[in-house]
Amino acid sequence: MLAALTMAGGASVMAQGLLGGQVTGNIQLDGQISRRDTVIGSEDVPQKLLSNARADILYTNGNFSAGLRYEGYLGPMLGFRPDYEGQGIANYFVSYKTQNFAVTAGHFYEQFGNGMTLRAYEDRYLGIDNALRGIDVMYRPFRGIILKGVIGQQRYFWESRGLVRGVDAEVSLNELVAAWNEGKTRVTLGGSFVSKYEDNSEVILADVSGFKLNLPRNVATSAVRLDLAHGGFGLQAEYAHKSQDPNDLNDYIYREGDVLWLSASYSKKGLSANIQAKRVDNMGFRSVRTEAYKEMLYINYTPAISKQHTYAFLSMYPYATQSMGEMGVQGDFMYKFKKETLLGGKYGTDIHLNASLIKGLDTTRIGGRGTDGYTSTFFGTGDTYYGDVSVEVSKKLSSKVKFAATYGYVVFNPIIEGHAGDIHHNHVVVGDLTWKINKKNSIRFEAEWMGSDSKYDAAVDDKRCGDWIMGLVEYNFTSAWFVSVSDQYAYKDGVGNYYNVSMGYTKGATRLQVGYGKQREGIICIGGVCRNVPASNGLTFSLTTSF
Amino acid sequence: MAIVACAMVMVSCDKIEEDNYLIFSGAAGQWFDGEGVADHSQRAIIEKYTGVRCINCPDADQIITAAVAQYNGSLIAVSIHDSSVFTRPYGSDADLRCADGDIWSHYFGVFDAGQYPSAIINRTKVGSNWDLFTPTSGVNERVDNIINGDADVAVAVAAELQNDAIDITVNLEMLQQVNDELTLTLLLMEDGIVTIQANHEGKDSNYVQNHVLRDVITDVWGADVDCNGAAGQKRVARFSYTTFREDWNLEKSHIVAVIGKKGTREILNVAECEID
Amino acid sequence: MKRIILSIAAMMCITLGMAQNAKMPDNINLKSLDGKTVQSSVIQNYGGVVILSFWATWCKPCNTELDAIKEVYEDWQEETGVKLVAISIDDSRSAARVKPWVDGKDWPYEVYLDQNKDLARAMNVGADVPYTFIINAEGEIVWQHKGYQPGSEEELFEQVKAALK
Repeated sequence: MLAALTMAGGASVMAQGLLGGQVTGNIQLDGQISRRDTVIGSEDVPQKLLSNARADILYTNGNFSAGLRYEGYLGPMLGFRPDYEGQGIANYFVSYKTQNFAVTAGHFYEQFGNGMTLRAYEDRYLGIDNALRGIDVMYRPFRGIILKGVIGQQRYFWESRGLVRGVDAEVSLNELVAAWNEGKTRVTLGGSFVSKYEDNSEVILADVSGFKLNLPRNVATSAVRLDLAHGGFGLQAEYAHKSQDPNDLNDYIYREGDVLWLSASYSKKGLSANIQAKRVDNMGFRSVRTEAYKEMLYINYTPAISKQHTYAFLSMYPYATQSMGEMGVQGDFMYKFKKETLLGGKYGTDIHLNASLIKGLDTTRIGGRGTDGYTSTFFGTGDTYYGDVSVEVSKKLSSKVKFAATYGYVVFNPIIEGHAGDIHHNHVVVGDLTWKINKKNSIRFEAEWMGSDSKYDAAVDDKRCGDWIMGLVEYNFTSAWFVSVSDQYAYKDGVGNYYNVSMGYTKGATRLQVGYGKQREGIICIGGVCRNVPASNGLTFSLTTSF
Repeated sequence: MAIVACAMVMVSCDKIEEDNYLIFSGAAGQWFDGEGVADHSQRAIIEKYTGVRCINCPDADQIITAAVAQYNGSLIAVSIHDSSVFTRPYGSDADLRCADGDIWSHYFGVFDAGQYPSAIINRTKVGSNWDLFTPTSGVNERVDNIINGDADVAVAVAAELQNDAIDITVNLEMLQQVNDELTLTLLLMEDGIVTIQANHEGKDSNYVQNHVLRDVITDVWGADVDCNGAAGQKRVARFSYTTFREDWNLEKSHIVAVIGKKGTREILNVAECEID
Repeated sequence: MKRIILSIAAMMCITLGMAQNAKMPDNINLKSLDGKTVQSSVIQNYGGVVILSFWATWCKPCNTELDAIKEVYEDWQEETGVKLVAISIDDSRSAARVKPWVDGKDWPYEVYLDQNKDLARAMNVGADVPYTFIINAEGEIVWQHKGYQPGSEEELFEQVKAALK
């Protein structure tokens, strides 16, 4: 099949003339030299130098494109699974795309709806790549209807595993029904169905000794979704259901899973409000049921609904969806005080409020492996997992100076990272000032403080505990260079002093960054997924370019 | 695309009913930690040696049938047709003889003594001799002696006909320390078999034979129980029995689980169940 | 598989020598803020220059850049007729927040969602935003830049003017 498509693709290239196409690409090289440090807990690296490299090369000729990606992990960087060790072509595809029809053979990334049934995606910094290798087809029979179908295996380090099949349909009523074309109310409906197949000959013992589990070979998720907009109002909803799927995540119970996600928003010029609510129950869906690596082989994705904070102390306790079960609400409010008003001043003032609360489900245990596991009530809640409130005010003080002040309060239950302990309550204050000296030079100061009721305990070894201060100065000059110096210091009830010096150079699409200092051990979250990064102490560099 | 959608629905997902979540994965007769036994009562088993040509045997049947009814589950009866002269079937009548039962008959001395009917309850001894007796009297005091004591071990049995096999699950729970190795003997017995039976009036050609020993599923002296004998132990084992004959009526059959001491061959406790 | 890779590599080698200004892809599906699926061919300025800016709600420098350009956008448009199109790479965690975000920020830009990063991949944006392109009237990528530092919008505007020539 793949060969046939390649030939077909090749033929079409021939037809259009080989010289008509274009080649583009991008290259990234990251490296690290880390040394032992007993306070922050970093270890010596036997290879001395660790590096991750990749190069994407893309050939495009009209509607036809083909690509391949080299990846090399010659000593995978700290935080990446050692299984990545090696180098080679990790991704290749050919694809043909027109407005009404598209087909990709080889590796592809795809998402149905919000990803609750299928999301094949990549996050290179987290070492996540669950690209599907197979066939991805999109067909638009007429305006307003889009059908998609996928079949493939998932990437697992240097191989492909599992078998995933899925279909998705999306109907835009406004495009479909001529009379509604210009309607103020816009309605889009969608539905998806994804099934994975896995052999069930493996022996997984039940809690009742002498018995193994009768494992389902086909496990399916299905979902319906709605996207409704009327002027400034918007409502989005998706409900997904998963059939019996005893797996490593749910400790092999037969309970079916589901997730309901709602988002409502209102916005107009200078004002916006958004509320989201979500209930997840046993929705972890992976193509290999025994997979224990945290981020590998996920077929679906359940978005976290708390805000992705960017300041260091606010994001110190990041939250990732507990796909086994959680319930949460989140509210987000933005307002712009206009220029020349009392609070707006000369340049206007932006205010951004955000709050979220996420709790566990109220469950009643039935049994262990080989049972339905537990029951839950729809509206009942259990332990508090996470909560935060933040207020950010940003204001241009003069044509050259911009200032932002943020206050945040974060409640974090260590149980979501798998260990017991007291809930941490943290207050965070951030000041962020940018001074644009002239057209080509600017300087930025950032100061953060975090007061916490948590105290460092060597037995638990959570290096985030305690009260912290942080300072950062960043100087940008000639619009191409930057130098930054920062330090995080635990001044009370904590341990550690994380200093860092970085500099970088950017020209067009090329960027080189070199840093020296200490990296905190902890969870780094990008794109809603979190990964444990070990402490490191030493030099890091990163080079990226596109052509 | 429509075809693809249909195909997807066809492959969709496997729904497994709750009863089928688990598959037995051990070897037959392998012992595992179990969930224990709820019913801790001490029961008795009366093994009665009998024959269709034995004119006194229907008298014993009458007494034992009454006793079984009276003890309401605490007494289990087994009729053993050994190879004595009394057990040869009349004409083309059903042959109730069981070779496994014959081994016991020889071992306990029933065959040599030639006295039918004979019975023994829980394979107990009087002095150094097996307590064999003629079960036209003396049943109740022997049963009372046993069931009024506290059980050393509790046992439960369940059986289910799955395709061509009877799956048998035996749970046991040690209630007292037992200083001997344990054995489990599984019996298959059938009720309601109509044969010719000799009696005081001559012959009854429509005599109903109950709890006839059809087969000893385990080794005739039982399978070893993998259990250290300490109080509190809970063990479970499963057996799969396939060598039953087609002319046996499983709907009227029972499985009996007998826990005995390996050294003395005394019976500690017993349980019975129907085949689902 | 080896053969496939070789044949792809061969095609690339043949064309690599001929490389000129790459065209912006016109056949990638994106979502408009009102939920419609559109093709990337909608991104154009009818004979004018387009600034194509990849961003995300959670990306501080992206927001700083788009806020900064907003201050001068009217002047830029008057002088050059340029149009800025912002492509959000927010995933489903924050995609529902994009429309309110754009309204709340009062950004005057055309905004599309690229949740699956199809366009970002086709344009070699890599993992980091902001990433800014200048597309000339012929649909060619004439300039690209990664990251934002205060003041770098000045250089962007110089490049817009250069692209007009």
